[in-house]
Order: sequence, then structure tokens, then C-alpha cells
Amino acid sequence: MKHRVSIVVMVDAVGALSDRTLHNGNLSLVDDSSAGSMHQGTPDLVTAVVPGQVIQWTPIHVDVQTPVEIESIEFLSGVTAPPPAGQTVPPHPVDSAPFPAPGAVPGTEGDAMGSGGYENHDLLVWEGIVPYDMTPGVPYRYRLSLKLHEGSNSVLHIDSPALLRV
Amino acid sequence: MAQQHGIIVLFDVENALRTRSLDGNTYWFDNMKFLGSAGVGTEQLVTIVPGTHFSDGSQATEQVLNWLPAVLGAIPPTVPRNYLAEQERADDRRTLRELASLDGEGGVSDADIKRLQRRVGKRARKSGGGRGLTESKLLDVTGRTTSDSGAYNYPAPVITDITGPAVAEKIMYPAQYGSPDMIYDGWYWAATVDTSRPGVYPYTMHVQLHELVERNDELVWESVDLTCGSSLKITNDPKRNGFTGAGLGVLPLPPVPAAG
Repeated sequence: MKHRVSIVVMVDAVGALSDRTLHNGNLSLVDDSSAGSMHQGTPDLVTAVVPGQVIQWTPIHVDVQTPVEIESIEFLSGVTAPPPAGQTVPPHPVDSAPFPAPGAVPGTEGDAMGSGGYENHDLLVWEGIVPYDMTPGVPYRYRLSLKLHEGSNSVLHIDSPALLRV
Repeated sequence: MAQQHGIIVLFDVENALRTRSLDGNTYWFDNMKFLGSAGVGTEQLVTIVPGTHFSDGSQATEQVLNWLPAVLGAIPPTVPRNYLAEQERADDRRTLRELASLDGEGGVSDADIKRLQRRVGKRARKSGGGRGLTESKLLDVTGRTTSDSGAYNYPAPVITDITGPAVAEKIMYPAQYGSPDMIYDGWYWAATVDTSRPGVYPYTMHVQLHELVERNDELVWESVDLTCGSSLKITNDPKRNGFTGAGLGVLPLPPVPAAG
């Protein structure tokens, strides 16, 4: 068993922003799991994992002068929490929803604010240990939200990738 | 992953040559305004360079700077550099063709000769021992032959060095690199940054401009070396986990995953 599995998130930031979607070939997910991952190179990557492994997500910009960071990774729950009052759940999948994923597991996420009030896009390390109580054979889909530069249309997401305990 | 910095230095070459100074004649832009660069578009640019380190203190992010010079009122840098050479050659070919078609039988008119003489244009030589510029015809910004000394296209400024406290204190390590991109003559200046020591560090850019002067009945491109400056503002913070806000933990999986 590999101790660590890397999931690389390759993003064409200009393509994604002008298409306003991470689909159309603007995002590609690849991992180095040796346990039989599926759909490598697509936004539908299912990463085969084993409890105890450390999974790390790393964003890579196809164009080195574009900003790409992971805004959040939220695992989607089968038990749907009601959305906050005044908000409607968009038909899925929809990009650039500013509110949390329906049924997302709340975390104590760190924000990307550095010292002196300066944002720092390299601050956060997106990694975690696969828990032993994860149900085998069931994909745990997650919402991967990416932030490309700043502004109201800068956050895009996909709900299609998943981790699968083998 | 760290975005590379692009720093564009826009030069008002004509005014800089007249005043023999780059003060008030440069405009600096970078792509880091959204992260905190100050003075973008002015000559008081302070480029933000956000750094990170791991919990053991080692540097976690390598920041890369790229400097790109541009000239106000010249052919834009996105036009390939061989554009002028191509235009010059095309112009010569046209002139020769018209010269050949001048018919000797009816006599050659003075007007024709004058027109072709104008087309031949003026050539500027490089100064003896001068660097960089090859002998070429004077062309205006549209690539046409010109003999008007006020209308020609200035050669692009050449960055010759980057010095100052940011370099002397080993905050950044600038160097000139070869590039397959002929837009910048196949060379560009870039630096990596040591982000372990936060602070503001000025640096000086040494630039060579070219001035067209008439000497011994010849036009000569003479180099004029000037300097201008900018600063880096280094910040640094420890890396932290995106899920926990602190150290490594278990992935926050739901008890029941969403149906796929």
C-alpha cells in the first residue's frame, strides 16, 4: 500500500473563466493511486484509496501566469441538509454557486489569508487521512471548488470526482 | 501552486532620451494587484511576493518573477521582431521592381526618380563598438520607410542588469535567460525569490535605450544607459491544512455518501 496518494488538479484558468465552467476540457484530474482508480484525466476521477493513506490535492495551472487555488473540498452527504432560508438548491451540476454544497460536511476550513491582511494562495495544504470507518465499494463524491483570480465569478466547482475505498 | 509574476515596464523612450532620465518616464505593471501589489501603473510599483514555509521552517513556495520591457508609441511587443526586417526587405523589392520597369524609351521622369529615392530611405548604422543593434533602414511605426527623424520606430529597450538591495541582500536571484520567444529577442530577465525574510526591498533596473544621432553625414544608433527602480514586498506565513485550518487530520467524510 502506498502511504500517500497525490491527486493533481490541472486547470486551464483562462479557458475555465471564459467558458465559465470547469468542463469542456478545462480541468483534468489525475492521481497516482496503485489500487485501481478510474476515469483518470477527467473531472470524474474516482480515486481508489485505502484507510490510513494520506490523500493530497495539488492544483497546477496550465498557464504559469494564471492564479489557480483550491477554494474548498467538501464531501457530499446522502443526508441532505436543508439549504439556508432564502436560498434555493440549484439543479446539479451547476458551476459557481457561492454557497456550500448541499449536504456538505462542514469543516473548520482554513482561509487563505496571510499575515498583514494579504491573501496568500499557497498557504493551504489540502491533505487528509482516509478514515477507517469509510464504507468500502461506495464512491464518496466531493465538491471541488477552485478559485481563479478574484471577483464574483472567480469560484467554479465540480461535484463529480470521488474517493472509493477498495 | 504559485502563480508566476509578470512585471511589465513600459518606457516613454522619447522623453527619457530628451531628459536623459527615466524619472517620470516609466510605467510599471504586474499581475499581482489582487494579492496586494501597490502602485500598479505608476513608477512606484511595489510588487507583492507572498511566501510560505513548512512547519520545520523550510521554504515551501518558490516565487518566480519575469520582467518584460515595452515601449510607448512603438510597434507593440506582440508583433514579431522580424516584422521590421520583413517590411524593409519587401520595400526594397518593390523599389527594385519599379526601377526595372522604368522605361528608358520615353525618358525617365524626375518625379519617378524622386519617388524611388524616397523609398530607398535612410539607413542607420550601429555605433562603433556598440552592442546589439544591427544596421537597418529607418522605418516608422507602421513599418514604412521614413526619412523623418521624428517618426521612426525606437528599438526596444534592453534590460542590461538588475541590482540594488533586493539583489545584494540575496532576496532575489535575477538572471537573463534564453527564450524561444522571439518577441523579446530571444532573451528575458527572470528571478527566483527567497521569501524567508519578509520586508520591502528596492531594486534598480539598468536599461539601455537607443538614440538616433547624425554623425559625419551618417545616422548612427547610439546607446544610452539609464536606470529606474521598483520594490518587492515579501510576506511569509506557515502552511496550514485546508481541511482543519491547522495540522493534518482525518478527511471530513459524511456518515452516508451522496448517491452518485
